[in-house]
Amino acid sequence: MSPVSATYWGIPGYVIFWVLFVIAAGLFAKRIYFLFRLMRLGKQENRFDHMGQRIKNVLFVILPQWCTLRSVTKKDLAGIGHALLFWGFSCFLVSYIVFIGLAEGFGLYPWLMGNNFETVFSSILDIAGLCVMAAMIWAAIRRYIVRPERLELSVEAGVIMVLVFSLMVLHFGIEGFGLAGSGETTNWPPIGSVIANYLSSTGISKNTLITVSQGAWWLHYLVILGFTVYIPRSKHLHILASGANILFKPLASKVVLEPIPLEALEAMESEGSVDLGASKIQDFTWKDLLDLYACTVCGRCHVSCPAHVSGKTLSPKEVIHDLKEHLLEEGPGLLAGNAQATSESPAKTMIGDVIAEEDIWACTTCGACQEVCPVDIEHVRKIIKMRQNLVLAQNKMPESAQLMLRNMQTRGNPWAGAQSLRLRGDWTHDMGLKILGQYEGRVDTLFWVGCTGALIDRNVEATLSLTRVLKAAGVDFGVLGEAEPCCGDPARRAGYEFQFQISAEENIETFKNYNIKKIITSCPHCYNTLKNEYPRYGGDFFEVVHYTELLADLITRGKLKLTNKLNTLLTYHDPCYLSRYNEVFREPRQIIEGIPNAKFKEMERSKNTTFCCGGGGGHMWIEEQHGTTKINHVRMDEVIGTGAETVVTSCPYCLQMLEEGIEQKGVKDSLKAKDLAELVEEAMNQS
Amino acid sequence: MNIIVCVKQVLDPEIPPAKFKIDPETKQVIPPPGVPPVISVYDERAVEAACRLKDKLKGKITVISVGSDKAADVIKHAISMGADEGFVLCDPAFENLDSFGTAYVLSKAIQKIGAYDLVLCGRQAADWGAGQVGSILAEILAIPVITLACDIEGVDTNVRVKRIVSDGYEIVEAPLPSLVTVSSEIGLPRLPAGVRLMMARKKVIPVWKAQDIGAEASQLDKGNAHTEITGLSVPTRKIECEIITGATPGEAAANLASKLANLI
Repeated sequence: MSPVSATYWGIPGYVIFWVLFVIAAGLFAKRIYFLFRLMRLGKQENRFDHMGQRIKNVLFVILPQWCTLRSVTKKDLAGIGHALLFWGFSCFLVSYIVFIGLAEGFGLYPWLMGNNFETVFSSILDIAGLCVMAAMIWAAIRRYIVRPERLELSVEAGVIMVLVFSLMVLHFGIEGFGLAGSGETTNWPPIGSVIANYLSSTGISKNTLITVSQGAWWLHYLVILGFTVYIPRSKHLHILASGANILFKPLASKVVLEPIPLEALEAMESEGSVDLGASKIQDFTWKDLLDLYACTVCGRCHVSCPAHVSGKTLSPKEVIHDLKEHLLEEGPGLLAGNAQATSESPAKTMIGDVIAEEDIWACTTCGACQEVCPVDIEHVRKIIKMRQNLVLAQNKMPESAQLMLRNMQTRGNPWAGAQSLRLRGDWTHDMGLKILGQYEGRVDTLFWVGCTGALIDRNVEATLSLTRVLKAAGVDFGVLGEAEPCCGDPARRAGYEFQFQISAEENIETFKNYNIKKIITSCPHCYNTLKNEYPRYGGDFFEVVHYTELLADLITRGKLKLTNKLNTLLTYHDPCYLSRYNEVFREPRQIIEGIPNAKFKEMERSKNTTFCCGGGGGHMWIEEQHGTTKINHVRMDEVIGTGAETVVTSCPYCLQMLEEGIEQKGVKDSLKAKDLAELVEEAMNQS
Repeated sequence: MNIIVCVKQVLDPEIPPAKFKIDPETKQVIPPPGVPPVISVYDERAVEAACRLKDKLKGKITVISVGSDKAADVIKHAISMGADEGFVLCDPAFENLDSFGTAYVLSKAIQKIGAYDLVLCGRQAADWGAGQVGSILAEILAIPVITLACDIEGVDTNVRVKRIVSDGYEIVEAPLPSLVTVSSEIGLPRLPAGVRLMMARKKVIPVWKAQDIGAEASQLDKGNAHTEITGLSVPTRKIECEIITGATPGEAAANLASKLANLI
């Protein structure tokens, strides 16, 4: 007899069943509605484009568990455990709907139970149950016995592990006692039948067996309902939010920054309150807030953040977690309608009390946190939005940042002053280049050099190498020479959004005037900005390639031949803005592999999971805070670990940071840093 | 408080020293290519001082600059920091004026603007560094002048100024209207941000010619100039480097000490 059709203390089972269900569902819905309203406190943002593509993303990422399996390394196998748990528990979720909801709740058990369907499904559940139990034991060991750095002890995790484990135990209990009580002898389902056969052999009466099975069933039902109520009130909210978060993840570029519309600005100005960027939790968009729900505090971002690894106080995990706590604290007040009162005199200021200013400035925007995040949280743009508020509304920033931004604003590049001994166009002298504005013919390909490659002596060497390589390969291109300004990237990453907007608009105008169809960049930061960010400002009529892509293509097409033997051991340092932001990591390796006799050794953190040099996000100019070490020194240790004689890179910032690291580590006799263009020039047949 | 700030556009002082070129014949500086001129650093601090006064006391900031048509950029810079409006004083007759001529042109423009409480100037220009215009301008306007300010406060109908002196500072008060020249000790100028940066960019800055401000040709005649440039040269610097050695660090220090003693 089904547990629901029995009567308990005179009350029909199905009444108890539905009353409990309605209570749990009500509590669940109440919390979800509350969280939804909190999320709606955020600003508008359109993430509903390309829905077909988005749904496909979710299915292809979550069902095969690529979200967690992609970050599995030899040192961190936890993703496998999560996949087992996910697949196993998904089977149970279906079974709860079929066997509890439909069969018991709606009385459909004559069709669903006691037949082959049930036997097959139960057998699958038995295997799934074992998987889930194994995953839970593994998870418990990783929390209470050998805890890796990224995990922290939490009561919530303990509660969930106990609940899930007890569900599995109860599942086997219901099955074993139930089968034994029915008196059937069977070999299916595999685990349940073994338990049943054992129980039958003990001689316990059938009635007792059935009573125990029914008791276990009700307990099991209560645990499921308890679980349902608990999930949206704990960090396990991610079970619900992560799917949505992956659905609404950015599609075109990894860090999406919204332009600040001028009309909004003028409105603010006329009201006399300029509040730009994010100073309050409701200044973020709804997607930013959804991010907070999706976080499960797995800590993958924490251990891959270069600021954290080098001993700064910034932790991307803490940022997300603290913002979530802040949202839950401030949210009810905001919803109650006293938004004005709360925003003017909040108990805690988001910048300062919740997130330290120091932490906001410690980020290099390298994106390592986002790359490893299984649920696609966008950490970097939240940091940048808070910087925007500090710079644009509060005029608060480190002095080194102010100096750089001032240079950008008055001099058009971040390097002015004593840091540079050159003028912008100096490098073009005697190179026989087509300088746009001076050259009379038509050129539709522009070589965009970038500030660092034009102004800093060491980087100019790389620029000259690349220029000679391009000319040797017969590439027809022009340059802007002294008229080339900054692309705006350092300003944008440092929160000086308007300066970026000005740069973008002016540069796009220039490209339009010269009828540019294709732009070759040598700096990955320019590359990312021109390729992914200029289209929002009307710069969508030109193709942007990084020189590594171009050289790889020239080699493939036989326009460039690498014939000189270089007997050396190389390693390649992937620039974040090239390999991670834009997934250009095959081309540089293809070029290196084509160099005769050169041996190549990969670093452990490479390609899209590369480790920052410390120079991104304006940090080429913003002074690095005191930590236990410097970011480029951490990276240099990894380079030295490969035993390479040459570390190759393809970013002017990285090149400087690596050279500084070599100097500081005292290894300049055994290790050289080179730009990939310099290496290609060496390997070229210069006849 | 209504404030008028006089600013000058100069060759970027941050250009690499090796790129600084002059023409000894015409006695003029040759600007290096691709380097935009900037607001003189002390004048930027004068704008900052004006903005701080405006933050506290409200009022209006007007910025004027004698220069080429490019000088609109420095006016826009001042507006992006917090000034309300500005005018460029540009006329062939204004070219290569000395401090007296410049002060005369500024005084005519100030008279055209009309009512004001305070005139602010940088302590000196970042290019020629004469430091004369402020004082001469006050003389022409017949108002008190306080130079080298590191802090400015408006007190009732007076201006109270903390000014730098060789062994510290002194506090001086003068009735409004007055003229104050601002020194760099006033602190870092603000980074132009927000709405103003975007709006200033689109602003059209009016240009006033000699006749617009009623400047008399006789006053602008180069023949009547009070100063004359007789020569212009870039000073040469010679650096000699000698490494002092010794068997022990102590001995090296002793050698260094005796070397220094001989130099004196």
